[in-house]
Amino acid sequence: MARMKFYCDPERCIECNACVTACKNENEVPWGVNRRRVVTIKDGEPGERSLSVACMHCSDAPCATVCPVDCFYTTQDGVVLHDKDICIGCGYCFYACPFGAPQFPEDGAFATRGKMDKCTFCAGGPEADHSADEHRKYGSNRLAEGKLPLCAEMCSTKALLAGDANVISDVYRKRIINRGAAVLARGVSYRDASFRAPRSTGGKSSSQE
Amino acid sequence: MSMPATDKTASQRLSVFGLCLLAVCLLLFSPLVDAEEKSARELPGVKVFNPAAELWRDVRQREAPVSGKTQVGGVETGVLINATGDRWRQFRMDELIPVGGYVIGAIIVLLLIFYMVRGRVPIEGGASDRKLPRYTTYERMVHWFIASVFLFLAITGLILLFGRPMLIPLFGKEGFSIIASACKEGHNLMGPLFLLALVMVFFQFVRRNIYQKGDLTWLLRGGGIIGKKHVPSNFFNMGEKTMFWLLVFVGSLIGISGLVLVFPVLGLGREFMALAHVGHAIGALLMIAVIIGHIYIGTVGMEGAIEGMKTGYCDLNWAKEHHDLWATKAIDQGEAMSNEAVASLNGEKTSTAPPGATIQGAGK
Repeated sequence: MARMKFYCDPERCIECNACVTACKNENEVPWGVNRRRVVTIKDGEPGERSLSVACMHCSDAPCATVCPVDCFYTTQDGVVLHDKDICIGCGYCFYACPFGAPQFPEDGAFATRGKMDKCTFCAGGPEADHSADEHRKYGSNRLAEGKLPLCAEMCSTKALLAGDANVISDVYRKRIINRGAAVLARGVSYRDASFRAPRSTGGKSSSQE
Repeated sequence: MSMPATDKTASQRLSVFGLCLLAVCLLLFSPLVDAEEKSARELPGVKVFNPAAELWRDVRQREAPVSGKTQVGGVETGVLINATGDRWRQFRMDELIPVGGYVIGAIIVLLLIFYMVRGRVPIEGGASDRKLPRYTTYERMVHWFIASVFLFLAITGLILLFGRPMLIPLFGKEGFSIIASACKEGHNLMGPLFLLALVMVFFQFVRRNIYQKGDLTWLLRGGGIIGKKHVPSNFFNMGEKTMFWLLVFVGSLIGISGLVLVFPVLGLGREFMALAHVGHAIGALLMIAVIIGHIYIGTVGMEGAIEGMKTGYCDLNWAKEHHDLWATKAIDQGEAMSNEAVASLNGEKTSTAPPGATIQGAGK
């Protein structure tokens, strides 16, 4: 079976946040939770880059390791899901996840700790595919319809890639070969210049005197 | 013949010397020349960085924490990768659960061995016919309040810690989820009561728990564990005092870190909450180990030890043996009462209920 992964291409992401909005709308994510977010590094400085991040569906997921009730499971497609009927909302996955993917919906006692919510790779949950329960708890199940996650499907610059790890790494590798060699040869630094700088400046804008 | 030859050799020697001098000079100054040329050639911006590597170094926060900007609100949403979570995972799975399990297991095994070797510490003089008032009703209430809250929190906490390896095989995931959910809710709701109980215990018992002369002797003689001789001590002995201060300090740590863990909405961030969890877990396991010892002495380990906390009165001989400094003073003040008087004060019906030898200390 496939091993599903996300990959975000920082040279293409334009920080439009459409993936965030698409995810929230498609999955009817609880109030206060964003399963996906776009983070901009060096905002407003040379070398600014944006990345869209959500659950990375780790092959050896730390959230699954620390869960005291063992509610996480990996599907045959390599998607890491959790069972909200078993989850007790302790928040240990929130501490362990390096990407900040599992989050507390604010509906527990004192509006603190509900059952955790996280990206499902648009693959629903343990309930029957397309059942009302599944939709209420986890959002839509696009994978069962043969579609990829909506965030990646509607990415306007195709920065966000989703799919089988072999396929998307192949796509990304081809992009790197096409764009990367010339820039690396000229020795342009991410700190000093932008890949997107026009050709007339030789690809280096700030460092050239 | 010889002159030109000598001349020739001299000029040859000179030229060889000159060549050597030149070579030495070249060798001496060549690095400088080379360095100058190099610095002239090295223009800014020519260093070859791998742009992707630099970006990912920032993303992985390898050199310094880098927080990006994001439109998504919440705590630490600007952090792309936080590696401390992995350290915390390692702590919980590879250190806390196995080591914690061994510590609790070892304490129980050690106490079992100790019980088999030493047996129950008896009242050597036997039960006497007189008693001393030891704890007031309020003191006993405070003790059993913190005891029941602590036991509840300890058991629910241990279930959450060791449940996955030990209870899921017994109850299945769904069954254990119900237990764990109840434990988590109970743990969170009862937690603040422990802090309240801790404050009550602190103010009630702090004066008698200040270390004083004689405590060091008690420690040096191992509290009378080694050998049969009892070590003199006051109302509380050095061991009890140490337990009190452990309870105060470690208990506060557990209580306050617990509050941090209960309220993720305070927005303290993953790193701080993981740190709070580390303190909470280590402190709680330490306290549980100490309390197991405390319960052992109170129940099976020593005859007459629990009486004071149960009824408020302790046996006179027990007091003389274990807390002789306090007992002598109390007897001098005439606080000793007959068993019948105590029974009648506790509302037990006795056929003959003569007033006690001295009742003046009863109200205390």
